[in-house]
Amino acid sequence: MLQFDEIHGPAGVRPHYEQLMERLSSLSATDLADRFSMLESIFRTLGITFAVTGHEEGLERTWPMDLVPRIIPSQEWRDIEAGLIQRVGVLNRFLDDLYVGEQSAVRDGIIPRWVVETADGYIRDAHGITVPNGARCVVSGVDIVRDGEGTYRVLEDNLRVPSGISYVLENRVAMTRVLPVAFARHAIRPVDHYGSSLLRALRASAPPSAASDPTVVVLTPGVANSAYFEHAFLARQMGVELVEGRDLLVDDHYVYLRTTRGLQRVDVVYRRLNDEYLDPLIFRQDSLLGVPGLVGAARAGNVTIANAIGNGAADDKGVYPFVPDLIRYYTGEEPILDNVTTYVCWEPDQLEVILERIGELVIKPVAEAGGYGIVIGPKATDETLSTTAEAIKANPRNYVAQEVVQLSTHPTFINGSLAPRHIDLRPFVISSDTIEVVPGGLTRVALREGSLIVNSSQGGGSKDTWVIDQEVDDVVQAR
Amino acid sequence: MLSRHAEDLFWLGRYVERAEDTARMLDVTFHHVLESPPAFESTAWGELLEVLYLDEIYEGPIDGRSVSTYLVTDTDNPGSIVSAIGRTRDNARGLRDRISTELWEAINVFFLELSEADLNVGVETRAYELLGRIKSRCQLINGVAAQTMPRDEGYRFIVLGLMLERAEMTCRLLSIRYARLVGSGEPLGFHTWVSVLKSVSAYEAYLKSHDASLDPSSVLEFLLLDPEFPRSVLYCLRQVERQLQILTGEGQQTGVERAIGRVRARAEYCDIATIVGAGLDPFLEDLQAEIYDVAEAVDVHFFRSGTDLQLHAFQSA
Repeated sequence: MLQFDEIHGPAGVRPHYEQLMERLSSLSATDLADRFSMLESIFRTLGITFAVTGHEEGLERTWPMDLVPRIIPSQEWRDIEAGLIQRVGVLNRFLDDLYVGEQSAVRDGIIPRWVVETADGYIRDAHGITVPNGARCVVSGVDIVRDGEGTYRVLEDNLRVPSGISYVLENRVAMTRVLPVAFARHAIRPVDHYGSSLLRALRASAPPSAASDPTVVVLTPGVANSAYFEHAFLARQMGVELVEGRDLLVDDHYVYLRTTRGLQRVDVVYRRLNDEYLDPLIFRQDSLLGVPGLVGAARAGNVTIANAIGNGAADDKGVYPFVPDLIRYYTGEEPILDNVTTYVCWEPDQLEVILERIGELVIKPVAEAGGYGIVIGPKATDETLSTTAEAIKANPRNYVAQEVVQLSTHPTFINGSLAPRHIDLRPFVISSDTIEVVPGGLTRVALREGSLIVNSSQGGGSKDTWVIDQEVDDVVQAR
Repeated sequence: MLSRHAEDLFWLGRYVERAEDTARMLDVTFHHVLESPPAFESTAWGELLEVLYLDEIYEGPIDGRSVSTYLVTDTDNPGSIVSAIGRTRDNARGLRDRISTELWEAINVFFLELSEADLNVGVETRAYELLGRIKSRCQLINGVAAQTMPRDEGYRFIVLGLMLERAEMTCRLLSIRYARLVGSGEPLGFHTWVSVLKSVSAYEAYLKSHDASLDPSSVLEFLLLDPEFPRSVLYCLRQVERQLQILTGEGQQTGVERAIGRVRARAEYCDIATIVGAGLDPFLEDLQAEIYDVAEAVDVHFFRSGTDLQLHAFQSA
């Protein structure tokens, strides 16, 4: 099987990595060790940690960032960016069409109605809740991988509460501190305007009845949440309040903040809480994290919930295979970014092929996230394969199958020396009246040799991701 | 500002002050015991527990090692230094977008230090060093807060918590130590007074403004009423009043302002000779009760924020 390495091509180090590799090779082993301990202490002192699930210790681990950044040349980035703008634009339209529009994609048979309505994240209560500029996915994190030929493909759309952007920003800060010289030798597109872009987008989504200077809050489940650091980070970057459910109160379909000076109206809630916890009147009644009446206030048009409720109808793994057709349907264009070839288990002829080739495919349960429940055919035991086959037959709607994508590798420091490790990329896309992509994104690394699972909760690491600004770079290099 | 944040900041101030006071009193008690007859040991440690309101909860033996371990490292003791700093850090974590990064770092580093060090060994063999470090870490936190936080509501709530805690602690210290000395009729030991003064970091300041004769009523006056010493009860109450005036807006007649006005005036216009003549106890009891009223009024006014009432006001508006 073909394997694409980001740095080493058939003709040696790829040109856009030459500068970096030259600089890295000039560092002694002691230099490198020093820089790693600097990294460790930066993240530790800042308290940048994440919780590892499934471990007895309930560990909080320091954020693992590799010293070698990933570099994306400007031409490649231009394609990724255009592909993301096209894709997210369509997903916004699809959702708006589904919940407050004519449901034309369903009506015209582009995607079966039952597939949409049985999607785990489809929310019947979202029907009729408008979002002022149709930007239902204010923030999306689209997972992109590179196959054996080096083609970028979308692996997954995350349109609910995608996390990771804070690590993009903190990785960048850390990188400029530990490798300042290498950094200065490249023209790298900045990422630190994220907070102000996000705030602008959130304000633009405020309901028409809001004040001219709308009040935005970030709603977090609380300190115990594994992404709490990020919630606090974003609130700080935007200069808005970070609130918990108990800080908010709904009265007569308006949302208020409890403050030391009484109640204050809230116009936009950037929630980092899943749909099911948002409002005990509509969803889980036992949830104390949400705000009773919040969904009713959104329906009355007095508050905007961002991202909108019910976005899971568009990022479901069972809906994913239809996204290329949705792009063609809504735009009349071919998708710029391809999907990974995916088969759906509920189509009898596809199911037959899937079961036949189960040892070669990746089987994914549609309702799981974070890399859980995935069976990688070529690496699974016969026993696992046969239980999986049974599970698929019993409940075909719950599974999709994909061709194995041999994620690209990137040289990564493992115990002091460079070794290839598989990576992916999660760029962050902000939707408002226009769609903006933050240059780069979060590059995640599977630190275990040969592993394809990059999720930080399962022992993944990360890299700072550099998008080269070609025009400026030409000037820098000419110096 | 969010009521929840205000409350967390207020308690952040209180916890740090409590940790620092506890460390200082422990340090003083250690050395006071070293210089006193052996029979004094259990009295001194028992009193320390009383000052910290822990005498009724504590079940272990009353000796230096057990009590100090309880006060420094015992996570089951909500009043221990480790617990206080743990809660400070919990609060600070929830306040990451409210406090400066430097302040968070100062708190986090202190917390990590405490959780990594072998504190039991520290308590037993190097108490002076350990307690000194704890005090200076607490002072660092307050200093960083003072130097990096804008003088906004958030900062005011930290200072409010800190000053209320300190006022209460000084009162409490006086009521336990002074009452015992006066009540037993024994001559006031020089060491005891020194230790009381040192417990609130007042020994040097006292010597500068008075002299080494350590006249009981002038020590008492200094700790209660000195307008310039930052740990005297009056100083703390004036600070509390100042913060509250800023927080509620000058000239407001709210429940909090009435409460602080009452207790500050009681301290301000009292006469030491009369108090000593009539017995210190009733005076200190009233003072403590009124300080407690202030804390309660702060809670109602800012943290519970009378939500229900305000909601009705909104509806009728």
